[in-house]
Amino acid sequence: MSLAQIFRQHPERRYIMFGGKGGLGKTTFSAATAYWLAQQGHRVLVFSVDPQASLSDIFQRDIFGKGPVEIVPNLFAEEIDADRRIRDYQEEIRRKILDMYGLEAVPDEIEDYIRAAAAEPAMEESAIFDAVVDIVVGQDYDYYIYDLVPLGHALYYLSMASVYDQWIAKITALRQEMEEYAQVARIMQRREEMEEDKILRELQEIRYRINTSSSILTDRQKTAFFFVVIPEEMIILDTLKAAQLFARFRVPISGYIVNRVLPPELAEQDIPEYLRNRLEMQKKYLAEIERTFGQEVIARIPEFERDITGLPMIERMAQAMFGEE
Amino acid sequence: MPEEEKKSGGFWDAFKSILYGMAGHDMARYALKTRGSMEHLFILITMGDLLGIPILPPYYSLRILPYVVPQIATWKRRMLRERDLTDALA
Repeated sequence: MSLAQIFRQHPERRYIMFGGKGGLGKTTFSAATAYWLAQQGHRVLVFSVDPQASLSDIFQRDIFGKGPVEIVPNLFAEEIDADRRIRDYQEEIRRKILDMYGLEAVPDEIEDYIRAAAAEPAMEESAIFDAVVDIVVGQDYDYYIYDLVPLGHALYYLSMASVYDQWIAKITALRQEMEEYAQVARIMQRREEMEEDKILRELQEIRYRINTSSSILTDRQKTAFFFVVIPEEMIILDTLKAAQLFARFRVPISGYIVNRVLPPELAEQDIPEYLRNRLEMQKKYLAEIERTFGQEVIARIPEFERDITGLPMIERMAQAMFGEE
Repeated sequence: MPEEEKKSGGFWDAFKSILYGMAGHDMARYALKTRGSMEHLFILITMGDLLGIPILPPYYSLRILPYVVPQIATWKRRMLRERDLTDALA
């Protein structure tokens, strides 16, 4: 089955992800898929969850931190500015403290904590993770295309979601138990008014956000996850390992796309030894990919004579991915 | 009539207060004390960074911070002070 057929047969799969090691073409495929879907008349948002995002480079337009930017009609691209999001978030917390307690300034100790928390290494990932929730709950688009982080990070991202979720579930339970004790005391003292626990509500909100973000990643109905591989030994082995790990996190894998395939016609031409060797090597590993992933390989994308940047190249790539044979 | 009601109500309330003093007060005190301990435990797991023990991902602990600002001073005192035998009697 071709990529185009898969998309036509499953219009309900609205969250599209390309995963794979760094530099194999995830961003290229994300951009080209978004372009093709927009051409088909769908409203599409392609966004980056990578702090080192490269959508700006591929579209040759600075979209960093500018929200959704319309590239061509129906095609929107967004790069999340994690730093700014963290700064805004810190400011929001400070405001809340000042308002709640009618203070002129945030107490030193609290201020130190707010600053230190923002410097934590996981902060950036968490901020992006959280930003994704705002993007996907908006429901403004027919398709959401995740330009994912490289494999290792993506796994971290997935495991972070499940760890967060369990963690929040535990403290929510603790909080609920606390409420019960408080209620006992109130009944004994015959005080009727029961103040709502704001912290509990906040925890439930956090849990909802984490679940929204992570449930999409594992939604069999609405999500399509494609692995990007290239015909090289290391990549095949790593992809196999990663696919097993992803399967354990119940990520619905929709297929594998082989990138950077040298055009086989080259072999009939007069080419240097170097290129001939590479062709031979690829032939071997393409057969290996066939053996390993079989039916699940849904597209083989040729190596282009130049890198994919700018709309004309993206269009060519979309043609290579979705053009009907 | 309302005057009389108030009177009997006053007596009834006093009676209930005595009853509460005899039976309920200790339970209420115990419940509040337990809740207080849990409150400190809660702050520890959410704001552990303040003592140098990071437990909750900081992005989300910041969301809870505004609600626990008043408790933080007493909590740190409680967590960091030395303990002795008399603690068991408290």
